[in-house]
Amino acid sequence: MPTIQARGLTKRFGGGVLAVDHLDFDALPGGVTGFLGPNGAGKTTTLRMLLGLVTPTSGSVLIDGSDYRHLPRPTMRVGAVLEASGFHPARTARNHLKLIATVAGIPFTRVDECLELVGLADAGGRRVGGFSMGMRQRLELARALLGRPDILVLDEPANGLDPQGIAWLRDFLKWYASEDVGQGGDGRIVIVSSHLLSEAQLTVDDVIVLAGGRLAAQGKLEDLLAGTKRSVRVKTPDADRLVEALHGAHIPAVLRDGVVVSEGATAEAVGRIMVENRIEVHEMVASTESLEALFFELTGGEGMHPGHGAGLMGDYRQAP
Amino acid sequence: MIRLVESEVRKLWTVWSTYVLFGIVVVIDLLFGFGLSFARGGRHGGTAGLVPHGSALWFANVFAVLDNARLLALVLGVLIITGEYRHKTVTPTFLAEPRRGRVVTAKLGVGFGGGLALGVVTMVTGLVLGFVLVALKVHSCLTGFSRGGVQQGMSQALCRAQHGVYFVATTHTMWHQWTLIAPGVILGTGLFAIYGLGLGALLKNQVVAIVVGLGFTLVVETIVTAIWPTIGEYLPGQAATALEDAHRTGFNGGTVQLLPWWGGAVMLVVYGVVLAFLGTSTTLRSDIT
Repeated sequence: MPTIQARGLTKRFGGGVLAVDHLDFDALPGGVTGFLGPNGAGKTTTLRMLLGLVTPTSGSVLIDGSDYRHLPRPTMRVGAVLEASGFHPARTARNHLKLIATVAGIPFTRVDECLELVGLADAGGRRVGGFSMGMRQRLELARALLGRPDILVLDEPANGLDPQGIAWLRDFLKWYASEDVGQGGDGRIVIVSSHLLSEAQLTVDDVIVLAGGRLAAQGKLEDLLAGTKRSVRVKTPDADRLVEALHGAHIPAVLRDGVVVSEGATAEAVGRIMVENRIEVHEMVASTESLEALFFELTGGEGMHPGHGAGLMGDYRQAP
Repeated sequence: MIRLVESEVRKLWTVWSTYVLFGIVVVIDLLFGFGLSFARGGRHGGTAGLVPHGSALWFANVFAVLDNARLLALVLGVLIITGEYRHKTVTPTFLAEPRRGRVVTAKLGVGFGGGLALGVVTMVTGLVLGFVLVALKVHSCLTGFSRGGVQQGMSQALCRAQHGVYFVATTHTMWHQWTLIAPGVILGTGLFAIYGLGLGALLKNQVVAIVVGLGFTLVVETIVTAIWPTIGEYLPGQAATALEDAHRTGFNGGTVQLLPWWGGAVMLVVYGVVLAFLGTSTTLRSDIT
């Protein structure tokens, strides 16, 4: 079973900036772990320390108890898709992958396999210089998958992908993390950093939330969301009757703009009341509080830049 | 380590800039070499076009242009390491092999090999040029327009009568000069690639490293050598020249002070390895962000 363990992980850059501050976390196999935090929270620095590209000032982050730099064949253990990773524009996609395959001792048949896996089978002979950002991102993923690693690390992988690409990536990551679960395997570790919280909410099973270089929260997404507010909204021609019925069952409910809003109720409870009272329903929406709202709560509103989206983000916090 | 070296070799042959460097070497050799064979001015004795055509000195002067390949080798060495930073391929490279010292070692090996290849290409081009010059020389002798033939005391009749012998003799002179200069040029070109690689490892910025490398060799060295020849002989360019002139001290005309050939080789290795070591222990150890 693959493990990733960070203990007291700290990075102070040359200018005195404390990017990561005594960070402890564990990443578990079998599901997708979201690495979340506002800009400057230390996500990228942490991932780069995990991959041996940045040297920690103190503390450690270990893969199966070993530093990345001491892994005998790192490409076979860990695959990484990083933002600032590059390509020689004049080199073809296939040749780019062959370079890494050569170092890792991976047969070239796997290169074509990986190109096909990410949907670049026809573009393998083209120069990367002419690739769109989405294609480069796919090529990076193909490179990360060359060694069939049991740990996959992706820094903002959705950047540059179109909606179909994002949906594909979401399904792929979920599948990759849990491919052998239930067949005697523990699954793989997949860590995804993201600032797209609504997307992350659809993808991740576990979350690690960073704020200001420190751990703000860690755990199963559903557990973290369970403690948050939820509400049920119902559109019905019998609005007044529904509010009465809900109050009769000691369920809070108010009429707001012709819509019945029941804060803190479950869809099951409201639904049962409606059937019992034979109330016609036109639309019913059950919502848990969003990951966004939880995120702002955990990170203390960091990342709310005045003049840019502050109002927009404020709206999230006053979720109906 | 073998896989690393293989990957580095592959890196070179999968980008066009490598082919451009080799192409430039061939073009420079042919253009300048051919031009020089008629021009008045050359390093060895300073009168390439004036010395008797077909003589040993004439070929030595023409072949002297072949060592310009070392400038391209310097650029090759710089590109091998700074290209990784410029195109940010350093991230996947260090992900696949996190022990950076091994990556630099592989690059030094491949850079040396690439430099030697440039040296071989320049010398082969030189050989082709040499045969062309021999053929032209014999032709001009036979058609009676040979200044050199006359200077060598060979009458037209004699030339016509003995043109086979004359061809063999000129070829032999050319070949002898070629064998004298070839090992030094090839080794010097290879070592210059290491020097460039060390420079690139230390400076990291591609443009800066190329400007500093070429500027130092072409401008600073020339000035220093002219004013303080005892310092100049220890600089990279003069050290490489010392390699070539191993057996040809007579051609210097006493104008240039040079180290013994092995001294030149040692100096070049020292430059390359010291710079690469400094680069590895400072720049390359830094965080890749």
